[in-house]
Amino acid sequence: MNSAVWRASRAAVKRRRVQTIVIGLVVFCSTATVLLALAVISAARAPFDAAFEGERGAHVSALFDPAKASAEQLAATAHRPGVEAAAGPFDQAVVTIPTDWVGRPPGPLALVGRPDPAAAPVDRVEVLSGRWATGPGEVVINAGGGGGTRFLGTSLTTSTGLKLTIVGFASGMSQSAGGWVTPEQAAALHPTGRQMLYRFTDAATEQQLTTSLANATEGLPEDAVESGQSYLVLKQAFSAGADTYLPLMTVFGVLGLVVAALIVGNVVSGAVVSGYRHIGVLKSIGFTPRQVVTVYLTMVSVPAVVGTVLGTVAGWAASYPILKAAFSGIATGTAVIEPAGWLPAASLLGVPLLVALAAFVPASRARRFSAAQAISAGSAPRAGRGLKVQRWLGGTRLPRAVSLGLGQPFARPARTALTMAAIVLGVVTVTVTTGVSSTLARSMSAPDGSTHIDVLTSAFSENKITPRLTPEQTEAMLHATPGAEQVSVRSLVRVGIVGQPQLVFANFYGGDAMVDHQRLNVVEGRLATGLNEIEAGPAFLDQHGLKLGDRITLVLDGRQTTVTLVGKELEGNANAITSNDATRALLTPDPHVVEYDVKLAQGADAAAYQKAVTDADPSLSVSVSTQGSVGPVVAIKTFSTTFTVLLSVVAALGVFNTLLLTIRERRRDLGMLKSIGMTPRQVVAMTITSVAWQGVASGIIGIPLGILVHRLIIEHVRIIAFTDSMIDVWGAPLLAALALAGVAIAVLGALVPARSAARLPIAEVLHNE
Amino acid sequence: MSNDHDGTTRPDDAPYVVELSGVHKEFGDAKALDGVDLRIRAGEAVAVMGPSGCGKSTLLNMVAGLDRPSAGTVRVQGQDLGGLNENGLALFRRRHIGMIFQFFNLIDDLPALDNVALAAQLTGTSAKQARRRALELLDELGVAHRKDVYPATLSGGERQRVAVARALMNRPALLLADEPTGALDSRSGEQVMDLLIDLNQIGQTLLIVTHDPNLATRCASRLVEVADGKVARERMLESSS
Repeated sequence: MNSAVWRASRAAVKRRRVQTIVIGLVVFCSTATVLLALAVISAARAPFDAAFEGERGAHVSALFDPAKASAEQLAATAHRPGVEAAAGPFDQAVVTIPTDWVGRPPGPLALVGRPDPAAAPVDRVEVLSGRWATGPGEVVINAGGGGGTRFLGTSLTTSTGLKLTIVGFASGMSQSAGGWVTPEQAAALHPTGRQMLYRFTDAATEQQLTTSLANATEGLPEDAVESGQSYLVLKQAFSAGADTYLPLMTVFGVLGLVVAALIVGNVVSGAVVSGYRHIGVLKSIGFTPRQVVTVYLTMVSVPAVVGTVLGTVAGWAASYPILKAAFSGIATGTAVIEPAGWLPAASLLGVPLLVALAAFVPASRARRFSAAQAISAGSAPRAGRGLKVQRWLGGTRLPRAVSLGLGQPFARPARTALTMAAIVLGVVTVTVTTGVSSTLARSMSAPDGSTHIDVLTSAFSENKITPRLTPEQTEAMLHATPGAEQVSVRSLVRVGIVGQPQLVFANFYGGDAMVDHQRLNVVEGRLATGLNEIEAGPAFLDQHGLKLGDRITLVLDGRQTTVTLVGKELEGNANAITSNDATRALLTPDPHVVEYDVKLAQGADAAAYQKAVTDADPSLSVSVSTQGSVGPVVAIKTFSTTFTVLLSVVAALGVFNTLLLTIRERRRDLGMLKSIGMTPRQVVAMTITSVAWQGVASGIIGIPLGILVHRLIIEHVRIIAFTDSMIDVWGAPLLAALALAGVAIAVLGALVPARSAARLPIAEVLHNE
Repeated sequence: MSNDHDGTTRPDDAPYVVELSGVHKEFGDAKALDGVDLRIRAGEAVAVMGPSGCGKSTLLNMVAGLDRPSAGTVRVQGQDLGGLNENGLALFRRRHIGMIFQFFNLIDDLPALDNVALAAQLTGTSAKQARRRALELLDELGVAHRKDVYPATLSGGERQRVAVARALMNRPALLLADEPTGALDSRSGEQVMDLLIDLNQIGQTLLIVTHDPNLATRCASRLVEVADGKVARERMLESSS
């Protein structure tokens, strides 16, 4: 670019300061939105794949009955057709840890006997702290979501009295064991299974995995395979949290991009139209058509590049906490959860390219004008447009300022269409967010109006004081303390499921009220209140391939019971089930109580109740319960509110920019209208009317679109099972309120330009024309 | 008694429509008006002349309430404009002032009839009444047959006639004209001059800012010469019409 072009571009940027700022802001907001969406999308898939391939994860972790398949037979399966690599056989034993250990509740622990897997052909489990087990009595714990160096050197004692010293914490994407010991130690634990870890040549689908495993185990007795854990299930569990946000983030990201393209196109188009005289002058002094286009593209590129850089920085910084929220509570193994490294580069290149494309079409109009055409187009009277509409409006009974405002947008139909499109997208965003928030509000149990007290036992709280009271005594004390109306009890243990290598958390409810006020809603079926009944969330059902009415067998402390799935919860941990105290008693005599919920009688003194409980047993952590929303609900509400504000601001900026252009073009008309007696209030009314009706029309178009998008999003949030009554939130009052959203966006964007129009200095405007 | 442009006389005791007293106007360091005193009686036709940048247009803006003086008082129709806010000034212009400009300042999106009717509609007059009155005015000015034509396709003279009709719509006490023939060819210019003379003959007070001595001598009964922001000379004119 030569210096004359650069100088002309710089002058154009300076002359259009407000427009430059608008472009910069629009691009900033859009870039940040898109980057956030892409960060979640990429983090939901890429880190698992990268870590899984890095450690040569097992496509299938298969567990065999040692009575039906010998170690030699299993070793031979590694050489069957379709097996790319295999590790094993490894002995697997399940021990029970009767007390809390490394911050986890009591329960069974699946131990696999493996030599150091650093160079294993499959499942190269990574030691995160400490070292691999090399001798008897040593154990390496699967770090999963917990554990760390402070527990190194501590011991676990199994229910049979065996003491194991923790020498390391390790993690692997294949989640092939709860812990590892040496092969000799595993053999001494009376193993109940043999593990083989396979990588197959065809492993893209569940069907291929099933076929590959069948081919590998051909020739073994039919029921030798006890279970086979697919890496696809793990992958789905890995991205379950992020999947909650994906539909919403994708929608907002796309909306952000489209709004940005619309507004940039509108801004540049307006700059070209209002700059006809400028274009003519440039050409008359020797600028070539290409140089004129370059001037206009540069004029837009400067704020676009600044907006992109700042938006990328802001989006990148915000993506870390958002990813942390999206992946909280999920066993991420060795995968590194961070936004993909290519994102900033893609955003820094892609967004300015998009802006340049949006700018190119109107800028190329500048290229086509001859100097004389351009100069005369800047000064000659414009041929009227939208004339019939103006004329008809002039004959109506509407106040003239209002009828003039209503007719104004018809003079520039293309600009009006672009501005309306931006408002429509703003209305869609507001509608989607309102719908999502209403759905989530309906999904949470209604407060019962009572005060509840949460009492956490030392097993579950940070309070490690030795309890004074047994669980039975505690429950009795809570009942007896003045003010209590009902006391419910929650127990938490990890239980095994026959045929599944991973343990799951089981919540058992008991006491006066079977239903804890914070217990998750059952949206299908019924609460698991009967003996041998359980309920679970959609994520659990998905990942375990279960449906209502199915039966599974739970295992704990060597006991087992077969339970029926009678209820589907609204949401819930992918590795958790809910049942009742009677069912718990079939599995373990230890109540494993972690929490009590006390419903106070009306008028009871919550503070006095808390003090009485703490005095009775200082090991209990007591607090007034708040009817709060759960993790994904809060996160979805936060995301949608943030993006709604961002996109509404961007849409309002679009209106603001359009009006600035219009006012600049119509300065002479405004001056004339004021000179013949149009009051400042009438000018404001005219200006706001010109966009307010576009807001109304945008509502009519945007609300149905928003309702459609809301339904699509809700149906794709797979870890929450919304019922029809939660999805159909659109009552007349809500729709009426939403109809105002478009008007609100339009008026918000119009206020400042309207006031500036009202303040236009008439003398200056009329004498400069 | 004083002569008017057509040789008829106006009573010397006619009320003042315009009274400027010690009016100063500064734009930064530049003085546009420097202590201007000027009085115009009802029915008079006054021309203001002077070189570019002498303060003619600023003077017109003060009288129209389009701008405010830095010092001094401006009274029009007995109303001190310094005491009015923006809203009050707009209402004042609506009731008492009609303006015509060099470049007509018609709204391109409205046909001639609606451009004229607009001034009345802003006061709350119904569209039907406003259009009826606008048509009468266009008829009087000889452009009624062009009522449905948009400004872009009117000739310069026709545009200025439409602009005059708009200025007269609310029966103003004072008609201000800023270089009303400056953008017209000589024939159209002549027509507009005749129009102004006719208006003055029926009692319309005129204040015309112009560079054109022909316009001044034909249309005005008094000439005010402005130089360096001051009234340099005032003299009565013999009508040439």
